Amino acid sequence: MTSAPELARQRPPLFDEAFLRRLEQLELASRRLTAGRMKGERRSIRRGQSVEFADYRNYTTGDDLRQLDWNVYARLEKLFIKLFVEEEDVTVHVLVDASRSMDFGDPNKLDFARRAAAALAYLGLAHLDRVSVAFLGDGRASSLRALRGKGRTLELFDFLSADRRERATGLAAAARDYAARLRGRGPLLLLSDLMDPGYLDALRDLAGTRCQLSVLHVLAPEELDPEVPPDARLIDNESGQGVEVTGDADLNDRYRARLGEWQAEIGAFVSRRGGAYVAIPSDLELSDLLFDVLRRRRVVT
Amino acid sequence: MIAPLALIGLLSLPVIVAFYMLRLRRRDVPVGSTFLWQQLIRDVEANAPWQRLRFSWLLLIQLLIAAIVVLAAARPFTTATSELSGNVVLIVDTSASMGAVDPEGARMSLAKDAAHRVVGRLPEGGRVTVVASDQTAHVLVSDTDDRAAANAAIDRIGATQLPGDLTDAFALASALAARDSDSTVVVVSDANVARLPSVGIGAPVKVERVGTTDANQAIAALSVLRRSGGAQLDCFVAVSNPSGTSATRRLELYADGTLVDARNLTIPAGQRSELIVPTLPAEARVVEARLAGSDALATDDRAYALIPSSGATRTLLVSAGNVYLENALALLPRLELYAVAPGGYARALADATAAKKPYGLVVFDGFVPSRAPNVPAIYVSPASSGGFGKVGATIDGPAIDRTAPNEPLLRFVDLSTVHIGRAHGVILADGMRSVVSTTGGKPLVAAGRIDGQPTAVLTFALRDSDLPLQVAFPLLMSNLADFLLPPGDGVLPPSASLGEPIELALDPSLQSVSLLDAGTTTTISLVAGRGVIPGATSVGIRELRDPSGATIGRTAANLFDPAESRIAPADPTRIEDMGRGPSGPAAATTPTRAEWWWPLAAAALLLLTVEWLLFHRPTRRTLGRLLRRTTRGGAGGGAGPSVPRSKPGAA
Repeated sequence: MTSAPELARQRPPLFDEAFLRRLEQLELASRRLTAGRMKGERRSIRRGQSVEFADYRNYTTGDDLRQLDWNVYARLEKLFIKLFVEEEDVTVHVLVDASRSMDFGDPNKLDFARRAAAALAYLGLAHLDRVSVAFLGDGRASSLRALRGKGRTLELFDFLSADRRERATGLAAAARDYAARLRGRGPLLLLSDLMDPGYLDALRDLAGTRCQLSVLHVLAPEELDPEVPPDARLIDNESGQGVEVTGDADLNDRYRARLGEWQAEIGAFVSRRGGAYVAIPSDLELSDLLFDVLRRRRVVT
Repeated sequence: MIAPLALIGLLSLPVIVAFYMLRLRRRDVPVGSTFLWQQLIRDVEANAPWQRLRFSWLLLIQLLIAAIVVLAAARPFTTATSELSGNVVLIVDTSASMGAVDPEGARMSLAKDAAHRVVGRLPEGGRVTVVASDQTAHVLVSDTDDRAAANAAIDRIGATQLPGDLTDAFALASALAARDSDSTVVVVSDANVARLPSVGIGAPVKVERVGTTDANQAIAALSVLRRSGGAQLDCFVAVSNPSGTSATRRLELYADGTLVDARNLTIPAGQRSELIVPTLPAEARVVEARLAGSDALATDDRAYALIPSSGATRTLLVSAGNVYLENALALLPRLELYAVAPGGYARALADATAAKKPYGLVVFDGFVPSRAPNVPAIYVSPASSGGFGKVGATIDGPAIDRTAPNEPLLRFVDLSTVHIGRAHGVILADGMRSVVSTTGGKPLVAAGRIDGQPTAVLTFALRDSDLPLQVAFPLLMSNLADFLLPPGDGVLPPSASLGEPIELALDPSLQSVSLLDAGTTTTISLVAGRGVIPGATSVGIRELRDPSGATIGRTAANLFDPAESRIAPADPTRIEDMGRGPSGPAAATTPTRAEWWWPLAAAALLLLTVEWLLFHRPTRRTLGRLLRRTTRGGAGGGAGPSVPRSKPGAA
């Protein structure tokens, strides 16, 4: 297994050693018990080989005779199989919106989302969870699947640090693409600015995977508190199209009000589907995000 | 307005408004996505060339700036009246008292400030002549309307150590006023001027009075007498305190640069302290008196005196017996006194001639010879007429009139407390002049030349007066002796006032001599051995040297001017009364123009700054961040984790 100091030496300074060590102390919250394929550190809905008793069922041909409860047979003369809670791994899905609208802001939203995604995925690896990361953009999802164990960390970081800035829009199509190919349940974290007409469809598709959806809504400071001059043409970073605005003293105020309403709509939509919604400014310190904001929102524990 | 054509610039105002109504060239602002903005923007006028004019603070500020700049370019002014006329003669007093240092600053600097203000108050097109006045007048700028040149000339003015005399300056101002009836004379001074002209001038005189302090003490007199025999020197020093409060000063005496005496003197306000110091070394040549410490005027805190040589003149006192005269004459170190009764006068004269030891001075007490001696003479209480004049009726209880302040025969002599019981009424002969008179104009002390011989007369008997009982008596006798027998080295007088020129009568073969004064050497050209040394400009010893470099004469230059030492500002009406009052309303209504473009320009600059602060958003944002950071850093030290922004949708 690759140690934190080695990582710090081999990789670009995405995270320093102290930061990686703190990551290991966190654990992704899993509100649902989900079925996994390999033994892990989380409770599974499958009955398995652990020492924690779960239930009895009738014996059927082919069952493992070692699971028979001979004490019950002695008293009742019926064959029962003892069922135990089996601890299995889950799959952590980390999705990063790589559309051009994300490639904006100071600090850059996409860069922030990469770092946050890397940190969250590393958390999964550190706890022996299966991790799947994907970039959403250009109408499809390009993913790196079935990473397990900290030994895959370099592979994870290589994937996340690859240049993805040329991707166009199509958040809904990309989310649908990922949901269709999704394997393994577990927490699903979406890092996006949701600046796409199909953002509700995308959220609906991802929530429909029965994964525990967490929407990390990343916005740049310029988007949260804009200072647009009285007479300006706003150039869309994604489409290159301009929108003209004319001198209006409360234009910026109206924008902020509309932004608030929009965030509330998204929050309500996600809540109704059992998910969590967290709005994050891209100038937020990553440590604050992981150790404070996401903890309070119980996305990580 | 001086340039009303500039108001055409107001046409720029509608142009600015038109710019605002024209469809603006918008600034491109990149955003991550216009997804949210598009829900907000409904710019229906985006494609129209003109748009409805909306209220904008920016437009308002720009219109204001343009209007103010145009108004300033038109050079608006207000017309005011000036108390000054079109032709101003500005006299700046540079006498010694102007060298005082007031609590507000150097008095000369205050005077120059006041002079600058006078130039600033000149009416439109007014002309000014700047005159610096000490003992004489110095024209610095003549009849100019160039205020910069006048101000530059004022800046060049400096205080001198010379006694003040406005006579020349007023004569000059009078001549200038005579050329232009619309004239005003402005005198910038502490109004403490000892000498004023007797005739007024035909223009209004205004005084800009400067100075406040009166804290000054001065060495008012310094002389050295050699006692009979010449072995001991008596130094007479007077220290005056013209200020309004009592003062204690330390007096130091230096003989040839060596401190020989020092003592503290407490002088009551308005009084003076006199003392005789007998401790000077006999071989000393120069004595210097200093007042240690400092006061407002430094010039009069030091004085110099040359010590006379010990050569004596045979003097014959013809008297029936007068102990006062005998003592006073015996005290004069330059006299070798012999006495004889009036009856023995002729014989004594013959004996002296026979012995080839003629008398150099004869003093007659109550006796007038039939023929005047061919040497200098003093007549005391002459009973009959003589060459000096005719003796008439006796005057009982004559009162002493004011004396001329510069009279050399009365140097250091204070006659204010002298009383005279009776005196002879004497009508002076030609060549004689009255030095001290009765209030009725009759001479009490007179001096002059009779048949080429210096002669002095005291028209009263000493026993009929309290003069012999006062310090003034030996001093008067000393001064008379100096007049009758010129003291010093025979080349220069032992003492001279600052600014007083000295005539030279030297060996006719000399073409030039050099004058060493305050470290500088000046060559004086002579014609047949005659020439003039210009008056001294600073206190000190002056030396005259022949072409070979040998010293041929020395003199001490001192201020010794009570009027200059009395530095308290005086009543200016005495000077203002020299001029005539303003005639008619013209003097009060001389128009002057005050332009006020500069406050407009300042307002425009202020508005420009406001516009920049309000509408240059990057600057405003940077300032806001700096402010927030400062506030946060001051409150929490900035060591904790960043606080995430609270978002409306984060619930």
